[in-house]
Amino acid sequence: MTLWRRLYSWTQSLFHRSRMESEMEAELRFHIDASAEDMVRRGVSREEAVRRSHIAFGGIERVKEEGRKARGVSFFDELRQDFHYGQRVLRKSPGFALVAVLTLALGIGATTSIFSVVNAVLLRPLTMEDPSRVMFLQEQWKGSSVDVSVGNFNDIKKQCTSFSKMGSSNNASFNLQTQGIPERVDGEAATADYFSTFGVQPILGRVFDASEDTPGHAPVVVVSERFWRTSLHGDPGIVGKTIRVNGLPTTVLGVMPGHFDPLLNNSNLWIPAAFTPVQLAEHDDHYLNVVARLKPGVSTAQAQSEIEIIAGRLQRLYPLDDADRSFRIQPLTTALLGDQRLSLRLMLAAVGFLLLIACANIANLQLARSRTRRKEIALRAALGASPNRIVRQLLAENFVLGLAGGTVGVLLAYWAVAWIVAHGPAEMPRLDQSRIDASTLAFACAVALLSSFLFGLAPALRSASTRLNDAFKSSTGIVGGSRDRIRSLLVVGEVALALVLMAGAGLLIRSALLVSHVDPGFDTSNVVVGRIGLPDAGYHEPIVARQTFERMIAAVDALPGVESASVVSRAPLAGGGSSNGLLAEGQPLDLANVVNSQLQIVSPSYLSTARVPLKTGREFTPQDTRERTFVAIVNETLARTMWPGENPMGKRFRCCESGPKGRMDPLWHEVVGVVADVRAQGLDREAQPAFYIPMAQMPAASWDWIGRTMDLVVRTRGGAAPIRELQGAVASVAPEVPIYHLSSMKQKISSTLERSHFDTFLLAIFAAAALLLSSIGIYGVLSYMVAQRTRDIGIRMALGASQGQIVWDVLGFGLRLAVLGLLIGLGGALAATRLLSSLLYGIRSNDALTFAAVSLLLLIVALIAGYLPARRATRVDPMVTLRYE
Amino acid sequence: MDKQLELLQGTLDMLILKATSLGPLHGYGILLRIQQISKDRLEIQQGSLYPALYRLEHQGWIASEWGESENKRKAKYYTLTAAGKRRLQAETDNWNSMADVIAGILGTKPEEV
Repeated sequence: MTLWRRLYSWTQSLFHRSRMESEMEAELRFHIDASAEDMVRRGVSREEAVRRSHIAFGGIERVKEEGRKARGVSFFDELRQDFHYGQRVLRKSPGFALVAVLTLALGIGATTSIFSVVNAVLLRPLTMEDPSRVMFLQEQWKGSSVDVSVGNFNDIKKQCTSFSKMGSSNNASFNLQTQGIPERVDGEAATADYFSTFGVQPILGRVFDASEDTPGHAPVVVVSERFWRTSLHGDPGIVGKTIRVNGLPTTVLGVMPGHFDPLLNNSNLWIPAAFTPVQLAEHDDHYLNVVARLKPGVSTAQAQSEIEIIAGRLQRLYPLDDADRSFRIQPLTTALLGDQRLSLRLMLAAVGFLLLIACANIANLQLARSRTRRKEIALRAALGASPNRIVRQLLAENFVLGLAGGTVGVLLAYWAVAWIVAHGPAEMPRLDQSRIDASTLAFACAVALLSSFLFGLAPALRSASTRLNDAFKSSTGIVGGSRDRIRSLLVVGEVALALVLMAGAGLLIRSALLVSHVDPGFDTSNVVVGRIGLPDAGYHEPIVARQTFERMIAAVDALPGVESASVVSRAPLAGGGSSNGLLAEGQPLDLANVVNSQLQIVSPSYLSTARVPLKTGREFTPQDTRERTFVAIVNETLARTMWPGENPMGKRFRCCESGPKGRMDPLWHEVVGVVADVRAQGLDREAQPAFYIPMAQMPAASWDWIGRTMDLVVRTRGGAAPIRELQGAVASVAPEVPIYHLSSMKQKISSTLERSHFDTFLLAIFAAAALLLSSIGIYGVLSYMVAQRTRDIGIRMALGASQGQIVWDVLGFGLRLAVLGLLIGLGGALAATRLLSSLLYGIRSNDALTFAAVSLLLLIVALIAGYLPARRATRVDPMVTLRYE
Repeated sequence: MDKQLELLQGTLDMLILKATSLGPLHGYGILLRIQQISKDRLEIQQGSLYPALYRLEHQGWIASEWGESENKRKAKYYTLTAAGKRRLQAETDNWNSMADVIAGILGTKPEEV
């Protein structure tokens, strides 16, 4: 017989089941009728003829059944029966089914929701042509990766032959006025090659070309689909029209598709970078994102080694700027998503643990149940079911469980993903794209199938190998010692996994607690912060820019409810900031002596408004102008670094701008005060050396460094942040200039901690679930043991064992399991938590206190879980158990 | 009528193949044909006929088609396929030689051993 025919017959039987059934019915009916007809013709009454022909034919249902089997449908049929049976069995034990389905749903739901996040953030390819060929280039300086200077970008682009395209962009934001209200829109200043490097085409119009990417060309802009739809009303004729960008009429060239956001920073506008010859020669100002597409056939390593040769050339040509600099390329995907990898993989591992624990629990339940079901199974075996068939039937039962658990789990995941998207850290790229889609569903199905197989196989095999004699012989005797061992091992495993999760969560929680008690270095209550960026057009002159900010401060100061107002170039915890090299007086002019320090340009009232404690000296006054001595206030870290063991007051240092003899002769600044350290980069980051200079003395060029952008810092007298009033005050000074990122300092702090809190919260939930599940496991094993040993316990009590001894026996067994799991778990946790090191603040990954605390918690929970079965054991009435025998 | 013989294990398939080799027949017809040829000396479980038919069809030795019976009712007709013909030949040869051997053994007289 050919394979084809067999397959045909099978598919016929599978897909044309009902037709086949009715045909068979018709055929058999015909036979009986025809036989009856014949008898009628021979003179038998019709009624009698029908009766006789039925008798002669035999049982019609049995014939049908054998007919189906003969056609080879029996495998699928039996499978169907198995499922049907499994469903019935589960319906008959709803308690077990409910616990099992919920346990499984928890495991599958958690795994699926985290997977859908991992899928969206990490696994889904970037939407661009062949993303694996797109490289991200960064400078390497003193062990850290920094952005690329225009000069270096320009030289590498000219000299490097490994890339077919190379482009750069720098993040910028723009003041726009499209619907009356000024708004601030994030975007990039990009070179003409930037778009073609990614190989993405605009959906409308075109992108700018090299001729438009030159200084002095009339302003042009490419906008995102999102911006086009929301702010430009999706105008189909937008190409060629003019919008006002930073106050300048700018022609819209094209619209990029919605998925085009190659560097994942929510860009909505792209303007030409239009580097000037001065910028192209500047090697010391590092702010470019550089992307490049490898030429076909060129490997990353080849490109890297070519760049190293170029870097050597640059180091010789520009010793002052590039002496310590090298360059590194890495795939764009790695550069953008590398940060997310650790924590997302941790989460995936954590939910994997949870799933394993859930599976172990259900396997345990199944094993316990298989004991009570031994007779049922033995009966099936006695009636001729092969071991094969019994295993298959039990697996089918598990499969039904897996299916139900999977369905509930996907529902849970659906809800969980929505929650994660709503509450997840805002800075995690592409998080908002997480959803339950085909690939997630496939994942959930695979997990459900695999786990149902995993927790089902061992109990099923064990049941099927049950010997009939054993099963019928005794109902209370102690059989299946090895089964006990398996169950105990499962519990030990569960406890171990749970401890690993708890240790991880414990470390993160302790770290979060430590961070929350860190003193940020200033008074964060009743402080509101917002950012104001003046456009170049109209505010180019330093004096205009400064006076505009001073007028804004005055306008805000006059608001009711405002205690004081100030501006600072970058408020603490607002991200970013600029740094400068400082050279203390008396030190030879050499790069090795330069101290790198954060620079804050402030209005005189800033330090008192933010309540940064003044340690010695004075604050700035309005009299500190460029006509007077250049002054600075340093933080304690800088004072310690520059003048260790000395009084910094009155000391001088060079920095910030060229003096009379040019760049190698920076201007002197005199220290007039020392303030406390402020944790400007985040509560969990150590304070860096920092110095403050007054806005009235800032170098003219520094307006360009900070992009004419200042953070308005306002201390209110309490109550809700006066958002509207602040907007009004700013608008009263410069109507077209928006104030954005407006929020209270408390909110800013919690958003910097959002990410770690989120990780902590998730891991804590997983750990709690793991603890719960494994305590259920302990409870289950002990209850089972007590139930099984009722007779032993009865005898022991009859022989005079006290209740305390019985309780201790049961509890002791549970504790032994817990301690064993604990020890294994501690070993695992010590190895696993090392991965957490980079996420911890103030503690090491093997923090003894945390480990002790979670171990203790686990033991307490194990004791509680063991107490109920132990109590039950003491209620055993020796008379009853012995009589029952 | 002689006493009916019970069908030997595994011979029903052969008989069905033989019956259908004489022309297309429906299930009831096959039964009648076998009884007619055997002069009613074989007892056939009517019900067991159909599983055998389905098995033979599944194996590709007979093929079936719906047609119209003598008294204008829809009935399923079975015909022997080419593979079925070869199978029938092989089974017949096998049966004959087996019958020879068995008959030879059973016919042996004591002095011949």
